[in-house]
Amino acid sequence: MRRLNLPGGTAAALWLVVVAVPLYYVIGSSLRTQADYLDAGPLAPPSDPVLSNYGTVFASGFGHYLLNNVLVTVAVVAMTLGLAMPAAYAIVRSRSRLVSAGFSVMLMGLAIPAQAAIIPVYLIITRLHLYDTLAAIVLPSVAFGLPMAILVLSSTLRDIPAELYEAMTVDGAGPPRVFTSLVLPLTRPGLITAGIYTALGAWNGFLFPLVLTQSDSQRTLTLGLWNFQGQHGIDVPATMAAVVLSLLPLLGAYLAGRRHLLSGLTAGFGK
Amino acid sequence: MTRTRSTLRTAVAVAASALALALAACGSPADAGPSMQVWVLQDKALNPVQQKVTDTYNAGKPSVRAAVQPFANDPYKQKLQTAIGSPNAPDVFLNWGGGNLNTYVKAGNVTDLTAALDANPAFKNSFLPSVLDGGKINGRYYGVPMAGVQPVILFFNKDVLAKAGVTAPPATWAAMLAAIDRLKAAGVIPIALAGSQAWTELMWLEYLLERVGGPQVFADIEAGKPGAWSHPAVLTALTMIRDLVDRGAFGTSFGSVGQDSGGADALLAKGKAGMLLMGSWEYAGQLSTAPEFVQNGRLGWAPFPAVEGGKGDAKAVVGNPSNFFSVSAKSAHGPHAISYIEKTVTSPDYVSGLIKIGQVPAVAGLSAQLASGPNASYTTFVYDMVKDAPSFTQSWDQALDPATAQKMLTNLQQVFNKQISPQQFVTAMGT
Amino acid sequence: MAREPRSGRPGLVWAVPALVYFAALALFPMILVVGLSFCSWNGLGDPQWIGLGNWRKLASDPQLGSSLWLSLETGVVTWLVQTAICLPLGVWSAGRQRSRAVVSTMFFVPLLMSSAAIALVFSALLDPNFGLAGLLGPWLGVDDGNFIGSPGLAIWAVMFVITWQFVPFHTLLYQAATRQIPVVLYEAATLDGAGRWRQFFSITVPQLRNSIVTSSVLMLVGSLTYFDIVLLLTSGGPGTATRTLPLHMYLTGFSSFDMGLGSALATLLLIAGTALSLLVVRVTGFRRMASVREGL
Repeated sequence: MRRLNLPGGTAAALWLVVVAVPLYYVIGSSLRTQADYLDAGPLAPPSDPVLSNYGTVFASGFGHYLLNNVLVTVAVVAMTLGLAMPAAYAIVRSRSRLVSAGFSVMLMGLAIPAQAAIIPVYLIITRLHLYDTLAAIVLPSVAFGLPMAILVLSSTLRDIPAELYEAMTVDGAGPPRVFTSLVLPLTRPGLITAGIYTALGAWNGFLFPLVLTQSDSQRTLTLGLWNFQGQHGIDVPATMAAVVLSLLPLLGAYLAGRRHLLSGLTAGFGK
Repeated sequence: MTRTRSTLRTAVAVAASALALALAACGSPADAGPSMQVWVLQDKALNPVQQKVTDTYNAGKPSVRAAVQPFANDPYKQKLQTAIGSPNAPDVFLNWGGGNLNTYVKAGNVTDLTAALDANPAFKNSFLPSVLDGGKINGRYYGVPMAGVQPVILFFNKDVLAKAGVTAPPATWAAMLAAIDRLKAAGVIPIALAGSQAWTELMWLEYLLERVGGPQVFADIEAGKPGAWSHPAVLTALTMIRDLVDRGAFGTSFGSVGQDSGGADALLAKGKAGMLLMGSWEYAGQLSTAPEFVQNGRLGWAPFPAVEGGKGDAKAVVGNPSNFFSVSAKSAHGPHAISYIEKTVTSPDYVSGLIKIGQVPAVAGLSAQLASGPNASYTTFVYDMVKDAPSFTQSWDQALDPATAQKMLTNLQQVFNKQISPQQFVTAMGT
Repeated sequence: MAREPRSGRPGLVWAVPALVYFAALALFPMILVVGLSFCSWNGLGDPQWIGLGNWRKLASDPQLGSSLWLSLETGVVTWLVQTAICLPLGVWSAGRQRSRAVVSTMFFVPLLMSSAAIALVFSALLDPNFGLAGLLGPWLGVDDGNFIGSPGLAIWAVMFVITWQFVPFHTLLYQAATRQIPVVLYEAATLDGAGRWRQFFSITVPQLRNSIVTSSVLMLVGSLTYFDIVLLLTSGGPGTATRTLPLHMYLTGFSSFDMGLGSALATLLLIAGTALSLLVVRVTGFRRMASVREGL
């Protein structure tokens, strides 16, 4: 770290190539025409860059998918944090055995893949007449995102010194006041972390949109990307332009708040 | 269990309704008026045509108005599966005929249209017979064609064939094999194949079985007759496929080529491959991704070659006969639904609308109209091919039940990849 | 609840919304899936109870063994490969040099990409005629660039893409953990004359022990979810060469519409997931952390 790290440096250089080449390919080919791409090979630089592929993507309803993605992500984050925050407070401060038992059950759900429950989730969603609505994506996404959010939030909550709670209690504050004037302000970093983690999962979610929606009007970005490929007249450069566009909002957020985003990703595992 | 469920429902319903408010703007319209629901596939070109004839129908002030609802292609079947048996069932719904339709017929979800068709012979006779048969289940009609025909066609790159010394597209299997060898010697992939998607490989088996054994062999398979897969023609067709693979007809890397990603189309358009067996939609696809290839007249098309000594008619076709309209048995507006179909799908507006967007309707007597439309030489070819076809076998993956179709596609891909022998395919499908 | 004001501690009621929600939409489906595995259901109408039929079918399903093996293989191989890449990479990127920070920024970009986007990019790259596969193939001994179409190679191509997707995340874990290693340890070792390699193996690796365990468990758990990438890249093909357990479940349920058999497969996933969850809770000590902290 403080000196030259040759083996690490070599590994880094190699991996840099492995990561950079596909990324270059995505951006490079998104700026080329289909004919140029097919004739000059996959890695040739865009000699005569065109933006027409981006036009094609927008003409295929990309803006609509983007809006759906934003709606789903905002709803998932709001509901997850809204449910997880009071629960985390109870888990850390409550003496109820039921709360602690409930938390244990939730932690078990941490590693159970959503795939395992997708068939019953599909059954439930169709029976609730929510099939092919954005709500159908949001509801199970929240359920399967809750354990992680609660875990992150409760570990932030534990860092609040017990004396602060006690001081407020002595002043006669009940849990609602403690929650609004102590817990919420002091767990902001945890909320941001859990929010980012949840948002990224919702933004890139694939399974729930795949199984629980079908019409174009309810399509999210990930599914839209897949659909682009199958459409007549959509070629590799246009597909890559769609990939770039789907990545752009996150890339902007990443470059703006790299530290938060990265700490959000290792949430709960970094310690 | 019941108790748990109702508690669950309440809990979820509360959460859901809160959310529904937030998402109300994007929920699907569930406007239930005195109207009947017509479910169709989403299609930017076709939907306006459907809307137009529906508007005309509604303008006649019927007692029950029709409302068209388009859905995206891939998961439409799933949507239909969940809706058709429920109170939310559509009145008129699009389907692919054959086995797909049969699933719903067996479940008692579809109205028998035979009597209605017999009562209106002018309407019945306005369809190409081989296509109308696609809506027939056990001798009764349950569906009526409502879209263009999509036969599978042998496409080729004229330049590539000419350069390799192949003067005409192969009309017989012997000519096919000779062409393959010449193309291979010329250093191109003889036939582009998107082998990463098994349904493209299936087209070869469909045509070869049709040519070798005639339409009855697959009809028996579709009907689930015991031992149908063991018909010798199946083994012969698979062996011919294996021979193609061994000859290098598809090159060596076909397994990595995708159809959805445009890999096979590009091979043909860029002159890296000589031929491509694909549905009739390939023309529109090429026109959009490689317009100069089509406009310069280098894209050629031909029927699948005859197989010498085979039982099948060289004029028979395989593919997607059409999409069909059927009437849901649960429909509260049965007679109106039938009348809607009769007044729309063969109406002059609808037919000319289909032609305008490049589709070839399954309606008789259109030769002149097609000849004066866009891409006339291609549409006329497609139309004549279907008009003259003694039979039109539906794509197997649509015709068979989903589980069997999956199994068949997997096994077929293994035959192409030489993981299993033709005999092993037959054995696997027979069990 | 009457005690709340006195103790100032929140009661059960604070956790109820989350617990009920989780129970209704996560826990209940997990229980329901076991029930559905005893039913026949094709997605049409209502599930019918058929007893052990699906489980008998499963027992004789020739695909099950191979799917289990594929999942295990991808899990173990990607775990080993990723660890071998992420550990040195994480340690390297923990350095505070400007250049390393810039390069690391690049490393983490794949983290932002959805599986769908990654699969699209690689399916284009793996096209043997117009992608990179045809160019790189000869260097790797595959002259025609037939990677995802070859029964033997497809799973390796899939594992490569999975590795590409998840290396950044685990590198990040190691980076964060490396930065927490007290500098004094290295200073003392340098005074003792220990070289780079010895420092790496006698200080860095032991200090990262917890992270290695965490990351390993996460990778193994993650291998149960390798589904979207495979579906989009190969659909389980050629043949069944890349049909991992979760994909086998998905295709059985939603392509063959055999939801009963699909549920039986999902039950297997559930069992594996629960076992791994218990392992996560054990080794990462999320639960323990609570009591330790509160005791402080």
